[in-house]
Amino acid sequence: MSDPNNQKQIIVARNVDKRFGSFYALRGVSATFFEGQVTAIVGPSGSGKSTFLRTLNRLETHDGGEIIVDGIELNDDIQHLDAIRREVGMVFQSFNLFSHLTILRNITLAPMRVRKMRRDEAEAKALALLDRVGLKNQAHKYPVQLSGGQQQRVAIARALAMDPKVLLFDEPTSALDPEMVNEVLTVMRELAHTGITMLVVTHEMGFAREVADRVIFFDEGTILEDTTPHAFFTNPDHERAQAFLSQVRHGF
Amino acid sequence: MNWTKRYPGWTMFGSMVGLLFFLWGVAIPLSAAPDPIGPAAQQFAEGTRITVWLTVISGSAGVVLGVIAGMGKLSKFLPLRWLCDFYVWLIRGTPLLLQILFVWLALPSILPEGVVLSDFACAAIALALNVGAYNTECVRAGILAVPHGQIEAARALGLTPLQGFVDVVLPQSLRVALPALANNLASLVKDSSLAYVISVVELTMVGYRVQAESYQPVPVFLTIGVIYLILTTAFTTLTAALETRLEVGQKR
Repeated sequence: MSDPNNQKQIIVARNVDKRFGSFYALRGVSATFFEGQVTAIVGPSGSGKSTFLRTLNRLETHDGGEIIVDGIELNDDIQHLDAIRREVGMVFQSFNLFSHLTILRNITLAPMRVRKMRRDEAEAKALALLDRVGLKNQAHKYPVQLSGGQQQRVAIARALAMDPKVLLFDEPTSALDPEMVNEVLTVMRELAHTGITMLVVTHEMGFAREVADRVIFFDEGTILEDTTPHAFFTNPDHERAQAFLSQVRHGF
Repeated sequence: MNWTKRYPGWTMFGSMVGLLFFLWGVAIPLSAAPDPIGPAAQQFAEGTRITVWLTVISGSAGVVLGVIAGMGKLSKFLPLRWLCDFYVWLIRGTPLLLQILFVWLALPSILPEGVVLSDFACAAIALALNVGAYNTECVRAGILAVPHGQIEAARALGLTPLQGFVDVVLPQSLRVALPALANNLASLVKDSSLAYVISVVELTMVGYRVQAESYQPVPVFLTIGVIYLILTTAFTTLTAALETRLEVGQKR
């Protein structure tokens, strides 16, 4: 963990519970995230890592505990929620680009509607962001005309257009063909160096090890390990984490 | 190569101009026809105009009704859902002819004194309510066909539920619903003939009168049939082109 003492807390989760019926997806999860930190969240399928990420911008409501984002408590208050969603961007596993809008309109929609930005301003910004993810010449195409990797890079640009303080990535490379994973990871790696706070649920252990400041290991709805990538990959404390690592190490 | 698919914009324009031209000029070729058509050419033209008017007015109102009730059927607010369910159940469960007669004969006795509805208005109201109920189901299906990820992406970007609905869900659902809505419109062109029972002098009524005077049903009804075919062809060409226009960004 890169010295949290002199860093500002941006997300605080305390004892967060989430149930689906009688199934506990999250049990008393507590974690604090600091500004500028890149956290990789790993763990087996169904361990609650995606659910946890989705509670942070209330795509899932939590049933117990509290979540505070940038000093605002996440609850049923719609104004709190709108304020938080403006600060927290999200990139989905299946991209979720708006299929009826061009790439450019995908990116300008939220700044124009939510931030009330003028169209020419929003478009200039969108083109700059597309340039940054290497897709400036695709601005007037539709999502379906792009490859998966390109779509995911657009989705990252779309999230960045709102100038979020935090970016949540929910398995951003899991739906991609293998040859497209790297182009997305490259963009994410560059982002990590800009100082934006990133929480990345991922199966890309190489990325977690190389780019993250911190690794959180989820198992059965709880955080089992919360440590540095070095410590996690060389000497995890728990047997479950060791077993998980030996599973995913195949092919490395 | 299908002309409609290649030039949807021109096809829409062409079919609209064609329809207007037909409405304006239909009397000219008809007046050159032998008895019993020629002498009644102006009547045929007037009947055609009434039929098209009835279709356009009740068709437009029906789409608005369908969108409102389709949304209402998916509302979280239970009484609204009941109301919309009741509306669809009532209209689909009773004959259109009965609905037209009800609006014409029963409604004036319910309405406050002084509100006078013309025969044409009665027919338009009944037809709009009828097609609106069928449209409701199409719109509802269209809304349900929009992937949930699209809504999540809109919410995660900070769009309010209303903005998400207007900018993301509605355009995508109408694209899905359009073929079914077009189908309903084509039915409406023909269903408008039932207005003849409440003495609206639309196309079928004209045919009935002319054959009654001339005792020559064969040429009269053939003419009426051809005019209906021309109208439905214009409407379906128009909607097919619109469909192609809205297909952008869609997988083929």
